[in-house]
Amino acid sequence: MKYLPLIRLLVNRELTLRYKRSVIGIGWTLLNPVLTSAVLWYVFSFVFASRLPNGQQFGPYLMAGILLNTFFGQGLMQSADSIASNGGVLTKIYVPPQIFAISSALAGLTNFFIGMLPLAVVCFISGQPLAWSLPLVFVVGILLALLVAGLGLSLSILFIRFDDSRNIVNVMLLILMYLTPIFYPVSVMNSTMQSIIHWNPIASYLEVFRWAFSNNATPTLFNWVYMSIWSILALLLGTYNFKKYWPRTVALL
Amino acid sequence: MAVIEVKNVNITYRVLMNKSGSLKELFRDAIKGRARIIDYVALKDVSFTVDKGEVVAILGRNGAGKSTLLKVLAGVLPPTKGTSKVEGMIAPMIELGAGFHPEMTGAENVLFYSALMGRNLKTVKERTPAIGEWAGVSDHMGFPLRTFSSGMVARLAFSTATDEQAEVLLVDEVLSVGDAEFQTKSKARMEQLINSGAAVVLVSHDMNAVRSLADRAVWLENGHVKMIGNASDVVDAYEAN
Repeated sequence: MKYLPLIRLLVNRELTLRYKRSVIGIGWTLLNPVLTSAVLWYVFSFVFASRLPNGQQFGPYLMAGILLNTFFGQGLMQSADSIASNGGVLTKIYVPPQIFAISSALAGLTNFFIGMLPLAVVCFISGQPLAWSLPLVFVVGILLALLVAGLGLSLSILFIRFDDSRNIVNVMLLILMYLTPIFYPVSVMNSTMQSIIHWNPIASYLEVFRWAFSNNATPTLFNWVYMSIWSILALLLGTYNFKKYWPRTVALL
Repeated sequence: MAVIEVKNVNITYRVLMNKSGSLKELFRDAIKGRARIIDYVALKDVSFTVDKGEVVAILGRNGAGKSTLLKVLAGVLPPTKGTSKVEGMIAPMIELGAGFHPEMTGAENVLFYSALMGRNLKTVKERTPAIGEWAGVSDHMGFPLRTFSSGMVARLAFSTATDEQAEVLLVDEVLSVGDAEFQTKSKARMEQLINSGAAVVLVSHDMNAVRSLADRAVWLENGHVKMIGNASDVVDAYEAN
């Protein structure tokens, strides 16, 4: 892997640059999910906390959802944007452009792992022990990074070719977010919505993540298989699409 | 031994007439049957070779395809047809400082820029102080690039790009940056690099520079090779044109 040092630099840059001009710097990575969770907790805990199945805690439930959804949504947009925004480099120096999309996904993954520290604290406050299955969160994280990188590669071509595709994807991500049980339990939905949510891949990743982290959900074999299929397919399709359309797209940069 | 071998390279851009840069417009045009695709030929059957130690200049008016050809050689633009083979490490001296980031420090930018060019980062780390010193920005290397003047940025970029000898040198205009003193210094370094045995492709509008530096020249017109041969012959013909 000739490009490993470059990937490391890129991940590093993405992690540090976002908060470079702020006082607490990378501390925002810890604080961001906490603040978002606090707001949503204040708004929704009255309505939904009591509707969770027995033994599950709303605090960790909510924060796990926010953490994972941030990783997916933000990671995907950054990954898809990374190639266009580095167009200046890519039209002058040869580096495999895929590296930028992969680095963005890896930066998202790192943020995701960092965010698990405050999540552990929230579990502790809620009196919920971490689960013995904790190491499996790495599997979920890596599978989700594959999904982000794969979709990001496909979208990056689209983003360069069509200006408005970015807005369309943004709206779709918003819809997807509401179809993901981040702050509500699935049981509050009617049966039609429940089956739609069932087929939302992000819901599968989230269900497994909540279970693996602090035993705060009950995933089925379907969730495991379904998310694996999505990750692998997205990666295969992304690399294929990118290879196929990049030669014609690079001319537009 | 040819280090660079370009064979029948064609670059065709597919351009959508009444350019629709949005899905909405594309959709609307497709429905109305107005989406027309035309092929724009940027390079047509370009072939030439560059040997080790040889300097080949590319001449031509604006829009003749010189920059496109450099992109093909740099490997960033795959040919639509034909092949372009380049052996060894390439140093693309094209718009130096691509990839510099204003929020990163001078030293970080040197490292990042070098990583993009595929250099060994351990060597680069050791070389960083020397690179900064040559550019005359030693005192600033620890500060973000946004605090640099534009001349300082250009000097640092030049110093970094030319710090290591590559087997293949792609030069877009003989770069002279900075104030008068630095211009002399950078010009000397550039000429030293060009004459030190690398295979060099040089794009320039400066005919005197071409005469003195290049062995051979390729004259491009509207994407195809109008003339190829001895540098002074091609320059004479080009200037007579």
